[in-house]
Amino acid sequence: MIKDIITPNKSLFAAGVHTELRAQINKSRGVTIISGNLTGNTSSEVSGISARVYKNGVYGFSSMAECSEDAAKAVLKAATDNAVFMDSRVNKGTKMFPAVNGGYIDRYTCTNTPEQKRYIEFAKEVDNYIAIKYPDLKGRRVAVRADSMEKLLATSDGKDGYTSIPRSYVYVIMTGETNDGTPIELFKPFGGFGTFDNVFTTPDKLYPEIDEMYQKIRAKQEGIYPEAGVKTCILSGDLAGMLAHEAVGHTVEADLVLGGSVAAHNLGKEVASPIVSMVDFAHTFNGESVPLPVYVDDEGVEAIDAPLITNGILTGYMNNRETAERFGMAPTGNARAYSFSDEPLIRMRNTAILPGTSKLEDMIASIDDGYYFVDTNNGQADTTGEFMFGICMGYEIKNGKLGRALLDTTISGVAFEMLKTVDMLSDTMTWASSGFCGKKQPMPVGLGGPAVKCKVTIGGR
Amino acid sequence: MNTEKLYNITENVLSQLRDGGAEIAYCTARMSETVEFNVDGGEFSLLRTLFDNGLSMTAIKGGKKGSVGSNSFEEASVRATVESCLAAADSSEADEHWGIADDQGEKCFENGALTPDMNGLFDRTKELLQTIGEKYPLIVIEQMIISHTKSHSVYRNSNGTVFNSKGGNYSVSLMFSGHEGEVSSSFFSSGVVTDNLDKPFIELGSIAQDLADTEKQIKTIACEGKYTGTMLLSPGCLCEFIDSIAENFASDTTLLDGTSIWKDKLGEQVADPRITISFCPKSPLVCLGENYTGEGFISEDFDFIRDGKLESFFASYYISRKTGVPRAKNNSGNMIIKAGEKSVADIIKGIDRGILVGRFSGGAPGINGDFSGVAKNSFLIENGEIIGAASETMISGNLAAMLNSLVDISSETVADGISVLPYAAFDGITISGK
Repeated sequence: MIKDIITPNKSLFAAGVHTELRAQINKSRGVTIISGNLTGNTSSEVSGISARVYKNGVYGFSSMAECSEDAAKAVLKAATDNAVFMDSRVNKGTKMFPAVNGGYIDRYTCTNTPEQKRYIEFAKEVDNYIAIKYPDLKGRRVAVRADSMEKLLATSDGKDGYTSIPRSYVYVIMTGETNDGTPIELFKPFGGFGTFDNVFTTPDKLYPEIDEMYQKIRAKQEGIYPEAGVKTCILSGDLAGMLAHEAVGHTVEADLVLGGSVAAHNLGKEVASPIVSMVDFAHTFNGESVPLPVYVDDEGVEAIDAPLITNGILTGYMNNRETAERFGMAPTGNARAYSFSDEPLIRMRNTAILPGTSKLEDMIASIDDGYYFVDTNNGQADTTGEFMFGICMGYEIKNGKLGRALLDTTISGVAFEMLKTVDMLSDTMTWASSGFCGKKQPMPVGLGGPAVKCKVTIGGR
Repeated sequence: MNTEKLYNITENVLSQLRDGGAEIAYCTARMSETVEFNVDGGEFSLLRTLFDNGLSMTAIKGGKKGSVGSNSFEEASVRATVESCLAAADSSEADEHWGIADDQGEKCFENGALTPDMNGLFDRTKELLQTIGEKYPLIVIEQMIISHTKSHSVYRNSNGTVFNSKGGNYSVSLMFSGHEGEVSSSFFSSGVVTDNLDKPFIELGSIAQDLADTEKQIKTIACEGKYTGTMLLSPGCLCEFIDSIAENFASDTTLLDGTSIWKDKLGEQVADPRITISFCPKSPLVCLGENYTGEGFISEDFDFIRDGKLESFFASYYISRKTGVPRAKNNSGNMIIKAGEKSVADIIKGIDRGILVGRFSGGAPGINGDFSGVAKNSFLIENGEIIGAASETMISGNLAAMLNSLVDISSETVADGISVLPYAAFDGITISGK
């Protein structure tokens, strides 16, 4: 746990400015096994303290790789000096954003990790299982990754808090070969919120899904390339989550709105079918914790849900305190920093399309000629909402039934056009949280959604 | 002062790792300072000053390897990090192929601008903003990050090598898009690394060209149908494609698991004879180079592909010993591609139907080299002329096949402080509209 060298220094906060002081520890563990060879065996712990000061529309920030009273004083002074320098050179003269409710939020979850040996043995056991049971695979990789962020925060005019987000994953990659000798790959993450021992008990719990993964790669060996063009398709919950995050979520981050994203001209307008709603959840969905719960952000704002699309209408942005004031919206706790040396940026937390009422089998049955896209290995989107997802597993749909597996392809579209074609949403919800969102700094995020029936452009081969 | 501190820390760490039973060990202690100006939505928003440390160490005990990183130089913390490193090694599996370079002696390196000119940096940033406002009125700056980082590190290993490195550089990075009313282009990014503030930033790298191109990408035209044509890659996009080729066909991972389709092709022709791709951290055109590798070798320039022949993989020393292929002589990413003889304009004149690609938004290429994705920030070419910016256009092909269907490489190159790259055109690419 972080020793509290923060609170005693609140008395040093300057008057008339907004100040944040944050101590933070980031831990990570990594083990990589490539075709039986242990090639990666690493861990790291990075800690320090930072201060940020807001004055007349500009920020000053400073950080030091040291959690001490002296470091707290030093970064407070440097951040204040930086804010003064910027104010004197820029002369924005913007008024202070409003204060938010004070108080203290204690949502610390233990981040203590087991010994490195535990990660290695777990990974080796998973690797051995695959090696023995599926010797016909051309290659296999097993990786374990566990990381955590632990933050102690004090602010001049908001919530203080002590929070942490630990998460742990096992990644499996299988390589096979099509009948004509073309190499094919499949990738699957297992895991979620919590330290490694909270998330994983014994490796055999993963084996049923590993077996399914092998069956998929077998199916893919006989796979076909999908036809290029626009077709009615079903996107799995994993793809819907990626759509929510990449193609819509980024465009409604208020800093990107100010940078000219497509959402700048669409607030209050219809951007999706009326059955589509989308929310950036803070910590809870349907009475249960979301994958990576956030209770207070790094500006001292208590985290609440941010509704983004409501029944097809674009109803909100994700903000920090400064942009919330600018857009006349309430801040919802989206200002997050990755490392002690990072300033808070507007980031997503757990962004999801809300489930509907349809059954997946009915959705499949409603399509005569289309595709069911199941797994993705990559996704990118533009501030215009144009998106591209790499598809590494899917099936054709013919006459309402699933057919042959698909070889790798790409799908694309423009989010606010494609979402208008949605006419069915499944009643199930799939969450994912194993990746990092990249936007100046990395950030662990959750994303989710139901299966979505819609029209998308398929790249074919 | 820093030198003595860094020498002492690395000496203590190495001594403790050896006392703990490591036959082979190496560590790096690093101190850095960063000054950074941020511009958001076209306005100055933030000044950051960062004071950071880094301590990384690796122990190999009985052939078992463990690596640990931290950023604390506090004595008790360093001791705990050493213990973690030894424990990680103990937990690992023995592999006789781990190793480090023979003793390279004690060497000092000094690169770039060690002292930042904060006022000069602010003024150049302000000047860039003003220039963009005046010359590129349709551009909206989403974010601009201008910084100077100086670092001092000491690397020490158990064979006796000590490398003392000091370096400093300015970095310019901007993300922007073009806007006219409610119509906008795709976003684009541009940037450079430099060791001086002598020239206005707008004159560096491809910043001016990128801004001008983006203004022309606000209004787009649709690509009609699906055809096989020519793909002319911009320098930045060419770099991404070559990176994918290196990752898929020549990296540690694909050499070790045997999935590289080039694993038996060293010394053989894998590309058009006009293609030479080198990695040159020692080039005078590179500001952010590499002095040594993590395994303790002094970095040297090398050719990846020379006159179309595969000359080197990107194999680490471990993979080299494990698989028998020669190790790569640096790990820098300082890519230099030999320029051609035709101008970009003349290359375009020779293209019947194709696309000039500024950015590729695609899935990770398959390990066989198949790629497919959206051509972003791109222009359609017909009958030797650019006919307009492309909307929703997909391109697909195969990385290995592409290298053998070169049309031309441009005489113009872009140097951004990290790499020196031309434009290059390839045939046989599937190009399709919506």
